[in-house]
Amino acid sequence: MTDLAIKAEGLSKKYKLGALGSQHDSLRDALRSVFARRDTKKAGEFWALKNASFEVRRGENVGIIGLNGAGKSTLLKILSQIVTPTLGTAQITGRLGALLEVGTGFHRELTGRENVFLYGSILGMNREEVAEKFDAIVEFSEIGKFIDTPVKRYSSGMYVRLAFSVAAHLDPDILLLDEVLAVGDFSFQKKCMDFAKRLQQRGSTIIVVSHNMASIKTMCSRVIYLRKGEIVFDGPTEEGMGLYEADGRLSEGSWFKGEEEPPLVFTDMKVFNERGQETAVFDHGERMTVRMRYKTRRPVDYPSFGVSINKIDDVHCTCFTSADDKLVIDRLDGEGVIELVTPPIKLIAEHYFFSLTMRERGHGDLAVGQMGSTFHVRHPIFLSYPAYGIFREPGEWRHLADTARILESTDAVG
Amino acid sequence: MSTQPINADSDQVVATATVTHKRTSERVTSIRPSRGLLDLGLNQVWDYRHLLLTLARRDVSVMYRQAALGAAWAVIQPIFAVIIFTIVFSIIAKLPTPGNVPYPVFAFAAVLPWNYFAEGVRRASISLVNEEELVKKVYFPRLVLPLNGVLTPLVDFLIGLCVLMVIMALYGVWPSWRLIVVPFLVAYAGLTALMVSMWLGPINVRYRDVKHTLPFLLQIWMYGSPVVYSSTMVPEEWRWAFALNPMVGVIDGFRWAVFEDTALSLNSLGIGMLIVAPLLFGGLVFFRKLERTFPDVI
Repeated sequence: MTDLAIKAEGLSKKYKLGALGSQHDSLRDALRSVFARRDTKKAGEFWALKNASFEVRRGENVGIIGLNGAGKSTLLKILSQIVTPTLGTAQITGRLGALLEVGTGFHRELTGRENVFLYGSILGMNREEVAEKFDAIVEFSEIGKFIDTPVKRYSSGMYVRLAFSVAAHLDPDILLLDEVLAVGDFSFQKKCMDFAKRLQQRGSTIIVVSHNMASIKTMCSRVIYLRKGEIVFDGPTEEGMGLYEADGRLSEGSWFKGEEEPPLVFTDMKVFNERGQETAVFDHGERMTVRMRYKTRRPVDYPSFGVSINKIDDVHCTCFTSADDKLVIDRLDGEGVIELVTPPIKLIAEHYFFSLTMRERGHGDLAVGQMGSTFHVRHPIFLSYPAYGIFREPGEWRHLADTARILESTDAVG
Repeated sequence: MSTQPINADSDQVVATATVTHKRTSERVTSIRPSRGLLDLGLNQVWDYRHLLLTLARRDVSVMYRQAALGAAWAVIQPIFAVIIFTIVFSIIAKLPTPGNVPYPVFAFAAVLPWNYFAEGVRRASISLVNEEELVKKVYFPRLVLPLNGVLTPLVDFLIGLCVLMVIMALYGVWPSWRLIVVPFLVAYAGLTALMVSMWLGPINVRYRDVKHTLPFLLQIWMYGSPVVYSSTMVPEEWRWAFALNPMVGVIDGFRWAVFEDTALSLNSLGIGMLIVAPLLFGGLVFFRKLERTFPDVI
């Protein structure tokens, strides 16, 4: 018996750009492209994944990280047999469960109960197997009495919980997860993490694709870092994440859904402490100076710049915007520098990242959304425990021993 | 089943745990760029038979749940078709029927298999595009989808068959032992529908024109089949060409099975099968070859 779960050799996937962007949705387009010149076709090819080779042992959890379009999802789709590689081979030993999008295959008209069976069989279980695990699935999902309600009446959280529960009870030897843990509330996410650990203990292998570095960090001791379709790093999580963060600086945020060519780009950012030193580590209560260099592609009227601070697990903590802080700029054209000095930062000690945004005309749609650098906040006590939340300000306390008198005096006032 | 301490909060346990559990499955899956041309992967479809049955169950239950009249449509639809055909072709155009078969019975016996076939072609051909999300996000043999497409309308067919029996009883026409060929004819019609969708389905993935062309195609095909008229109206010397249409054999066979006055034409069945068999095989190869590109182009 081999101890390998996955053995991939030279996996590559080539896409034709035409087939990805504007497909031939009608015969007319196809006829047109037949008569188009041949060499234009050749230019429209790109390799979503190039020569990826790696091995994953049983019981090993591996995170796959990389910027948008680096080939993470392509790799996962190849491993789950949805798309076939153009070149290369892979061998997978054991039952594979893939959760590329939670709830794919759920039918809105059917009840939760019916969908459990439907989704189970989509994931490769037979009816008896689902029936056997049905109670455990419902219990894990916390859906309770809504199990006989059509899922179109479910909230998105319920939807995700039910779908994940089915997949989790598949007892996969290899579980592929694509960004699915980003949804659901915090306590359910924790539950999923615990479940993943249990799966790992019984020898299952989990491959996770995520932008959420915190979940990668807790689940995986090893990461594979993809850049433009190639594996550039395969090793300890900390090291790989360092590379990823360096590359991720100023790249377009995965949450950004604006124009393809934003009117402005941030070309550089630097963060300084109160002593004017460039740094990525700040003490709790220190002011930060964020200096961003921008370059416009076209003139921008009444821009409002935004700097958001997010915890590394994607929890949005706060946002400073120039419009709210009464900085009025009539028009931007060309290059320049914008600077923000924050109030004393009262965030708990954790790992954070900036995101940089720009809106036109004060409060228009997001025109720019880029990832900023990361930083740490230091404090000996206010560490990242759920009890401390995300920020910590001292309050004013008083101890009033004689309760009766206080109540009387309140009455007197009222 | 677990023999190890389960302690979700301790990373230490995970790191040092030696893997002693058995895998759920010892199956080795190989992922390769291309397979042999003639490997149809039918054994994989068998592995996924549970999915096929669940999808069929889903479609049937959704089909009737969304409509206010529910399952009644399976009865109303063919009856209306037969009423219209009777008015237009029997009362106005005065088309003759062979023997003494009342026209409504004569028409219903053809509308039933035809509707099954047409619905099967329609559902199976657009199934891949309809289940786009599944095709893009989940792996399973894609053949499951068109198979489900030709399987689901069987429910309507069975309901229709009961209606036919009632109508025959009303007209005093009694079925005979010949009814035993009905399952065979239905299977043949289903395979023919599958054959058509093996070609149209993959084309529809790339060119959505198929969806718009399909109603015309099916309408022309219906008038090219002996649904409203009798095969006996086709000149003898052209019967062989007429029988190139596999539905001729199915419909004639059906009429033979339900009323006794018509003769069974084994010729038209035989010719039709000679057409369907190679086209079905070719279609499966075609489907199989393009199957791997579906998630890329859909």
